[in-house]
Amino acid sequence: MSTQPAPGPQLSQQSNAAAIKAVPFGDSALMVSVFSDDSGERQEGSRKLRELLLDVRPQGLLDVVAGVDSVLVEFDNLAVSHGQLAQTIRLAVAGGFGDNDGAHAGMHFVIPMVVNQTFAPDLADVAAELGISPEAVLGHVEDSVLNINLLASAMAPMMGRVQFPGQVSRCKEPRTNVDPGSVMVAGNNAIIQPFPGPTGWKVIGRTPLVICDIRENPPTSYSPGDTVRFKVVPESEWERLEGRFLRTDSYTIEGAH
Amino acid sequence: MPAAERTITLKVRESAWLATFQDLGREGSEALGVPCGGAADQHSAAVANILVGNPRSATSVEIMGGRFSFTTSKPLLIAVTGAPADVTVNGSKVSMWEPVCVPAKGRVVVANARGGMRNYLAFSGTLVTEQFMGSAAPEARMGFPQQITAGQHLELRTSYAGFEHPYLTQPLFRLPVPIPSFEQSLWSIDIVEGPETDAAVGIRELLASREYTVTAKSNHVGLRLDGPVVHPDGLGEIVSHGVPIGAFEIPHGDELIILGRYRTLTAGYPIVAFATKASLPLLGQARPGQRMTFRWVTQEQAVDRQHEAQRLLNVLESRVQSLFGAIDLPHYSRAVPARAAA
Repeated sequence: MSTQPAPGPQLSQQSNAAAIKAVPFGDSALMVSVFSDDSGERQEGSRKLRELLLDVRPQGLLDVVAGVDSVLVEFDNLAVSHGQLAQTIRLAVAGGFGDNDGAHAGMHFVIPMVVNQTFAPDLADVAAELGISPEAVLGHVEDSVLNINLLASAMAPMMGRVQFPGQVSRCKEPRTNVDPGSVMVAGNNAIIQPFPGPTGWKVIGRTPLVICDIRENPPTSYSPGDTVRFKVVPESEWERLEGRFLRTDSYTIEGAH
Repeated sequence: MPAAERTITLKVRESAWLATFQDLGREGSEALGVPCGGAADQHSAAVANILVGNPRSATSVEIMGGRFSFTTSKPLLIAVTGAPADVTVNGSKVSMWEPVCVPAKGRVVVANARGGMRNYLAFSGTLVTEQFMGSAAPEARMGFPQQITAGQHLELRTSYAGFEHPYLTQPLFRLPVPIPSFEQSLWSIDIVEGPETDAAVGIRELLASREYTVTAKSNHVGLRLDGPVVHPDGLGEIVSHGVPIGAFEIPHGDELIILGRYRTLTAGYPIVAFATKASLPLLGQARPGQRMTFRWVTQEQAVDRQHEAQRLLNVLESRVQSLFGAIDLPHYSRAVPARAAA
């Protein structure tokens, strides 16, 4: 079942408006995405949709959950129907999609990470899978300016794209507990574990900084649209940096500015 | 006029298997990667607060299993809702789903819950507790457990200063309370179709005709059920996407998971159905061993049931407001925006 317009009088399709797919996900949510054969376009469309929804806040909207190339829109089903909300979203997209490019003045974070046997149990695996050396893996991570696409579980920053020569697979057996601060990769994305918990992502280092602290307001300094660079630092730096809350100035690369 | 607000201290004597501060959950947090959380049985939590004249979203105590008891030196107005349980005040049995006047030097015990998993204990006034993202609901994973332990002192800001019926010590409140039934041993849960319902050939018939049993691996993240499942064919890898509360996932193994309010927000498992919003409160009471069947309904029927559930809450809320207003008990009135009133 979808909420594509029913047969009958239809608005002429605007050529410059992205086609929006909206599928009911239960009685009080819609799964919304951009029609495209290209995964990059769908991901970019999903990011724009999310920003647009949070900006416009259609009647009845309760919350949104960003997926890789879609947005789950949760709504009050006593205030609005699937069809009405889908229509509002399509109208908002037709009216202003793409106009908010660069609207979010992103901040830039440099995040130090320490790489050793304990902190990077999957580095050798990742190197083997990509057919490059562990040093080259870390080189690609450090050289990539990563964009925070969304905040995943427990406000974890989901980042793309690491300039790897290929895709990194997930662990065959997900780990049941990974320490906070762990820097992890899968596909060509990177993420940092904010709190202890299970994950199937591959662990290639650990930052001594605290990236999320619920006693801070807001609990993270970063938000979607911000950019990140990782910097591999010597183990001797760990003690000096451990426990500091991540801010844009928590760690600066010498001579970078 | 109700008395001026004062702060009183409650002493927790027994803390059940698990007791936490609780409310209806966070608003707008899922866009930031934090599940809304909140009372698993939103209906019972809302009713408990309405019955003591609070806003529905006020902080209450969620009690799971065992005995929860506390003492107070000052009078209190409380209500207990949720699974059928034994509630006593100074040793005398009192009713659930009603406002209860606790005298000064009172001891309240909530014990022996049966037929369901959770009780909600609401107090007229404001329970003092920390909040995270605007809510008192626990978020244990992020370091906000909100657990209440034996020996702990709870602070309550309340305008309630005692109430005695002229003839009956314990007043009789005749209120239209929508009390859910926990008597059936086999629950019937309304569901609507999901994106992979058709790809999982036969799941429609299975869910409509077979019994499923909640297993001990269930928690606030999701209910795990034993029962026949079929895996969808030919879907390939499902890209990770947002998942709503009540989604019926079939992971790689042969089990069915119904996601709860503390779910991981994104997943890539096939979804073969969704519990309706109106059926979520009952699911929030399901214990290991609970048997259930499912009933397919249309989106329109699902919305109708939610309308009806909310209508009953609204009726109760306005009756409590007029009653409490008439007998001078503190009560919250739905705020009229200043501009609208002007």
